[in-house]
Amino acid sequence: MENNTAGIPATGAIAKKPAGMARFFKLLLQQRALVVMSVPFLIWLFIFKYMPMWGWTIAFQKYKPALGFWEQEWAGLTHFRFLFEDERFIRVLRNTLAMSGINLVLGFVTAIALALLLNEVRKVMFKRVVQTVSYLPHFISWVVAAGIIQSTLSPDGIINELLMKAGFIKEGVLFLGIPEYFWTIFGAGTVWKDVGWNTIVYLAAMTMIDPAQYEAAEMDGAGRFKRMWHITLPGIKPVIVVLLIMNIGYLMESGFEPQYLLGNGMNVDYSENLDIFVLKYGIAQSNFSLSIAAGMFKTVVSFILLFVANNVSKRLGEARLY
Amino acid sequence: MAEVAGKNKKRRPMALGDRLFDYANYTFLTLLMVVTLYPFLNTLAVSLNDANDSIKGGIYVWPREWTLDNYKYVLAEATIFHATMISVLRTVIGTVATVFCSAMVAYTISRQEFVLRKFVTVAFILTMYINGGLIPNFLLIRDLGLIDSFWVYIWPGLIGVFNLIIIRSFIEGLPESILESARIDGAGEYRNFFHIVLPLCTPVLATVALFTGVYQWNQWFDVFLYNSSNIDLSTLQYELQKILQNSNASMSAKSAGDAFASAGSQDANAVTPFSIRATMTIAASLPIIMVYPFLQKYFVKGMTVGGVKG
Amino acid sequence: MKKKSMVLVVTVMMLFSVVAAACSSGNGGNTEGGNAGSGASGGANNAAGGEEKTQEKATFTIFNGAGAAKDVNTNETTIGKLLEDQTGVNFKLENLVGDLNTKIGTMIASNKYPDAAIDEVLGAGAFIDLTDLIEQHGPNIKRVYGPYFNQMKAEDGKIYFLPFSNVVGEYNPDPNINQGAFWVQRRVLKEAGYPQIKTMDEYFKLIEDYVAKHPDEDLTGFVSLTHDWRFFATTNPPMHLMGYPNDGEVTVDMNTFEAKTYSASDATKRWLQKLSELNAKGLFDKASFVDNYDQYLAKLTSGKVLGFFDYGWQIGNAQNVLKDAAKKDPAKDDFVYFPLPVTFDGEKDQYLDPPGFVKNRGIGITVSAKDPARIVQYFDNLLKEENQILKSWGIKGETYEVDENGRFYRTAEQIAKIDEAFREEFGFKYYDWNWPNYGTNSTLADGNAYAPGLQPEVFQMSLTEADKTILDKYGVRTYAELFAAPDERPWFPAWGIPKEQGSEPQMYETKKTELTRKYFPKLVLASPAEFESVWAEYMGEFGKLDTAGYEKFMTDEIKKLVEQAK
Repeated sequence: MENNTAGIPATGAIAKKPAGMARFFKLLLQQRALVVMSVPFLIWLFIFKYMPMWGWTIAFQKYKPALGFWEQEWAGLTHFRFLFEDERFIRVLRNTLAMSGINLVLGFVTAIALALLLNEVRKVMFKRVVQTVSYLPHFISWVVAAGIIQSTLSPDGIINELLMKAGFIKEGVLFLGIPEYFWTIFGAGTVWKDVGWNTIVYLAAMTMIDPAQYEAAEMDGAGRFKRMWHITLPGIKPVIVVLLIMNIGYLMESGFEPQYLLGNGMNVDYSENLDIFVLKYGIAQSNFSLSIAAGMFKTVVSFILLFVANNVSKRLGEARLY
Repeated sequence: MAEVAGKNKKRRPMALGDRLFDYANYTFLTLLMVVTLYPFLNTLAVSLNDANDSIKGGIYVWPREWTLDNYKYVLAEATIFHATMISVLRTVIGTVATVFCSAMVAYTISRQEFVLRKFVTVAFILTMYINGGLIPNFLLIRDLGLIDSFWVYIWPGLIGVFNLIIIRSFIEGLPESILESARIDGAGEYRNFFHIVLPLCTPVLATVALFTGVYQWNQWFDVFLYNSSNIDLSTLQYELQKILQNSNASMSAKSAGDAFASAGSQDANAVTPFSIRATMTIAASLPIIMVYPFLQKYFVKGMTVGGVKG
Repeated sequence: MKKKSMVLVVTVMMLFSVVAAACSSGNGGNTEGGNAGSGASGGANNAAGGEEKTQEKATFTIFNGAGAAKDVNTNETTIGKLLEDQTGVNFKLENLVGDLNTKIGTMIASNKYPDAAIDEVLGAGAFIDLTDLIEQHGPNIKRVYGPYFNQMKAEDGKIYFLPFSNVVGEYNPDPNINQGAFWVQRRVLKEAGYPQIKTMDEYFKLIEDYVAKHPDEDLTGFVSLTHDWRFFATTNPPMHLMGYPNDGEVTVDMNTFEAKTYSASDATKRWLQKLSELNAKGLFDKASFVDNYDQYLAKLTSGKVLGFFDYGWQIGNAQNVLKDAAKKDPAKDDFVYFPLPVTFDGEKDQYLDPPGFVKNRGIGITVSAKDPARIVQYFDNLLKEENQILKSWGIKGETYEVDENGRFYRTAEQIAKIDEAFREEFGFKYYDWNWPNYGTNSTLADGNAYAPGLQPEVFQMSLTEADKTILDKYGVRTYAELFAAPDERPWFPAWGIPKEQGSEPQMYETKKTELTRKYFPKLVLASPAEFESVWAEYMGEFGKLDTAGYEKFMTDEIKKLVEQAK
C-alpha cells in the first residue's frame, strides 16, 4: 500500500521479494480485497479463453469434426508447410502487413488529429453534431460501404466525373482495376469509415486533462498549436501509447471484409491478404486445420511484435502495456 | 469548455491566427461531416426508395420513388419485436456487466503494489492474440450448458481486454493525490473503487459502455452458432440477417423456384437484397446511434478532475 | 386481423417474460430460458410419446443449408396444415443464416443435428441409411425415385438422402430461359429485321452495327458479369459456344465420355480474343471487371447495354424491371433482353439443360432424429400425386382451375393474387423446393405440367403483345423453342458430381478460378497485339495445375454415372 505512483516502474512487492514465497503469501493476504476483485475473473479467463486452446492441436491433425480427439489422424506440419510453401504466401503476407500498417498509421494519425481539432471547437452543439455524424459510417456494414465506394470510384462515378470536368483525365479510370491503387483506396476507405469511431477514446482521454493547465498556458501567451502540442497531446499520450502497442500486436490482422468486397481479379495481387487466403483454402473447404495453423502463425508473430513494442516503449520511458 | 472559452473572451480579443485557425477548423469539420454523412443518407434514401427502381442505381441522397414498403417488409416479420427485446436485453445486461467487471479488474491491475498485478495483466493481454478456434470454442460452450441460453450472449465476452487496458490507463492517469487522500481517510479497496475510482472514471466508462453496447447490439454470430434453432432467443440483427438471406435466396434461387413463382405473372420484384440491406442497416443502427448523443455529456472536458478539485 | 396481432403481441410478451425470468434468476449455467421457450413454441412435441399412432402430433426440425426462406412451422401454412391433418406431422424449418461450413462443422463436432437436413456436406455419419425405411414405409418414394435408386446410392451402397431433380413422367421443358444464353436488346433485333443469329461473329456484328448507327446514344456494346462467385458467367461461354450444356468446368465427349477442361483451350482463347477485339473497338465495358453484382444489374436496367452473356436466373431482377416498364409503356419493350442460341460457327447449340439428376444435394434424416419412420411416412405421403399437385398448383378453385379438357390453368385474378405474401401464407414458398418431390420438369399422370410455370397455357397468359410479336417473328411459341433440344446426357450436370471437401479436384477448381480471375481481365484488356504474349503467360501458369489429374477424376466419375444410368 505504500506506492501507487503511476508511470513509475513497479517498485512494489514483486520487485523486492526478499523472503520469497512466505512474503508473497503474506502480501496476498494483505491485499485480499484486490485478490477477491480479480481472481474470479482469472478463473473466467481460464475457462473461456485458455481451455479452448487444446484446439491448437488441430493444426497438426487432418482434422475431421466427426471424430473424437484420439481418433484424429495426425498430419505433422503438413498444414504449416502448405501455408509457407505456397508461392503466394509471401505476397499475401506482404499485403497483410502493408494494409494493416497503413491502417495503423493512418488510423492513429487521423483519429488523433480529429480529436485535437474537435477539442478546439468552442461551439458545443457544433462539436456534438460533428462527433455524432462522423461516427455514423461505423454503423454501415462493409457490404454497404463497399458498394458505395465501388460506385463512387466507377468510371461513371463522381470522382471520375470531377477529374474529367477538371480536365485531369480524358476518360474514366478504373480505380479498382489498378492494383497499385488498392492500398490507398483501402486506407482511405477505412479512415472514412472509422475515424469518427476511433476518435471517441481520445476525446474521453482529453477529459482527464486539467483545465487549469490550459488557463496557465493561455496566460503565458501560448497559441493554439502550442497548447495542442504541449498540453493536449502529452495529456493523452499514455492512452495513445498503450493503444499503439496493442495494435502493433494486431499487425497480422488487416481485416477481411473490405479486401474481400473491394478485391477483384485485376487487383488481386494487392488485395488478397492472409485471411482471404485462409478462407479460400481453409474455411471454404472445411479445412479447419489450415485455419488454425494460420491462426497459430499469426499468434506467434503477434507475440513477438507485442514484446518488441512494449520493450521499446519501456526503454523510451513511455507507458507500457504490461 | 464553454466556460473556459467565455473567460477567454473577456480577457482579450482572439488573435488573428486563432481566428484563422477557427475558420479552417470549422470548414474542415463541415467537409468531414458531408463525407461521413453521405453513406448514411445514401443508405436511407435507398431504403425509402422503391426496391424495383433501386436496381437501376443512381440513388444518392434523395429517393426517386418514395415508399415505405421496404420497412413494411422488414418490420412486418412477427419475430422482429421479440428479437428487438432480446437485443435490448443483451445490450443492457451485457454492457452493465462488462463495464462493471472490466472496471473492477482494471482497478486491481492499476494498483502498482498488487502482487498479482503483472500476472493478471499478462494473462489477459495474451488472450487478445490467441484463439483456440471455432470448434473447440463451440464444444466448450456446449459443455458449459450455454447452448440455447440467453447467457451465452453475456459470459464469453464478459471482459474485453481492450476495454480493460483503456480503463486501467485512465485510472493510472488519475491524480494520485485523490487516491492518496482517500487512503489517508482509511478507505478500503472496495470503498476506494466504488466511491472514488468509479465516479472519476465516468468518461472512460461511458466510452467502454458505448463500445460494448454497440458490440452487443450488432452481434449476431453467437446467435448463429449457439441459438439459431431457438427463435425465442433470436436477436434483431440475426432476424435481419435472416430476412436478407431470404431475399438473396429468393432472388437467385438456383432452384426451380421460378417455375413455381412466376406461374404466369411476371411480378416485379417485391424486394431485393440491395434494398433490404439498406433498410436493415437503418433499422438496426438507428436505435444504437441514438445512444451516443446521450453519452456525449460525459465527454465534456475537465468535468472529472475539475469536479473533484472544486 | 387486429385480434390476430393482439394475440401475437401477448404471446411475444409472454415469451419475453419467460426469458426475462430466466435471466433474473442470475445463474450462470442456466438454460431454463431456452428450454422454456422451445417448450412454449412446440408444445405438441411433448405430447408425442409412448405408443405409435399415426395421428399423434409430432414436430420435427429441418435444417436447410441453402437458406431459401423464413423459419416457420409448416403447419402455419395452408399446405402444411393440410399435410399435418393427413399425417400429424409438423416441421419446424430452420434456414442457414451464416456460413454453411461453420454451422455444419459445429453440428458434426457436437454430433447434435436437427431431425432432417438438406445439404450435401452432411452425408455418411450424419445421415441414416434410408434403404430399409423406404422399403417399409415408402411406396410412393419407390414410385418416384425408383428409377434413380442406383444413382442415389453412396459408395457404400446406401441411400442417405433424397435429391430433388428427379423427373417423373415425360420431361417438360421450361418455356422461359433460366439457363445460359447470349442476350440482346429487342430493339437491336427489330432494327436489323429480326435476323437469325447463330454464330458468335453474327452476334457481335449485330451489336457493332447497331452501335455504329447510333453513335450519339452513349451505348455499351457488351458487358460481362465477373463479381465474386458469379465469375463463371464470364468463364462458361466458351463451353456453350462449342455447343455444350453447362457441365461446369468440363465438356464431356458424347461418345467416349472423356471430360476435358476448356479454360485453357482454343475455345477460351477464341472467346477472350473476341472480347479483346470488342474492347479495342470500344464496344466492351471495361468496368465489367470491377463492377459488383448490383452495378451490373443497374447497367442492364439502364437500357444502354446492348448485349451480354448470362444465365437467366441471375438476371431475373433486372429483366423483371425491364418487363415491368414495358408493360406500362410498350415502347420500352425495346430494352427487354431476348435470348439467342449463339455458338462459335453455328454448331448445334446445347444451352438448355438436359434432363439431369443433381445428386449432390438432397434431404436426409439425421442420426439425431427422434422418429425417422414418421418422417419417411410424411415424405411418402407428400409424394402422392394429389399432394404434389397441392404443393405446386394449390387448391382447385382457389389457386388454379381445370378446363373441360382437364388442363390446369390459372385465371388472371388468381395470378394476381399469388404474390410473394400469398406464396408465404399459402406455403408455396416453403414447399416449392427442398422436399422430396417431382423434379421441376415432371409431367403429371394426366398430362399437365407439374410446375405451373411450365404449363404452356399458363406461360402463354404471361406473354405481352410485344412478347408474342417477337416470338412470332422467330416462328416459335416459347423462348425455349429458340434453342435446340437437349441431347441425352446421363451424367448431367457434371458440376453436380460430389467432390470431397479439401480434395485434389476441389483444390484444382479453387486454383483454376483464382488463375482465370486474374488473367481474364488482363487478356481482354490487352491490346490485340499483346494478346498472344499474355496468353502465353497464362498458359505457363495454367500448366502448373494438375489438369490431367482433374480430368481423370471427372472422366472416371462420369463413366460411373453412365454405368449407373444404364
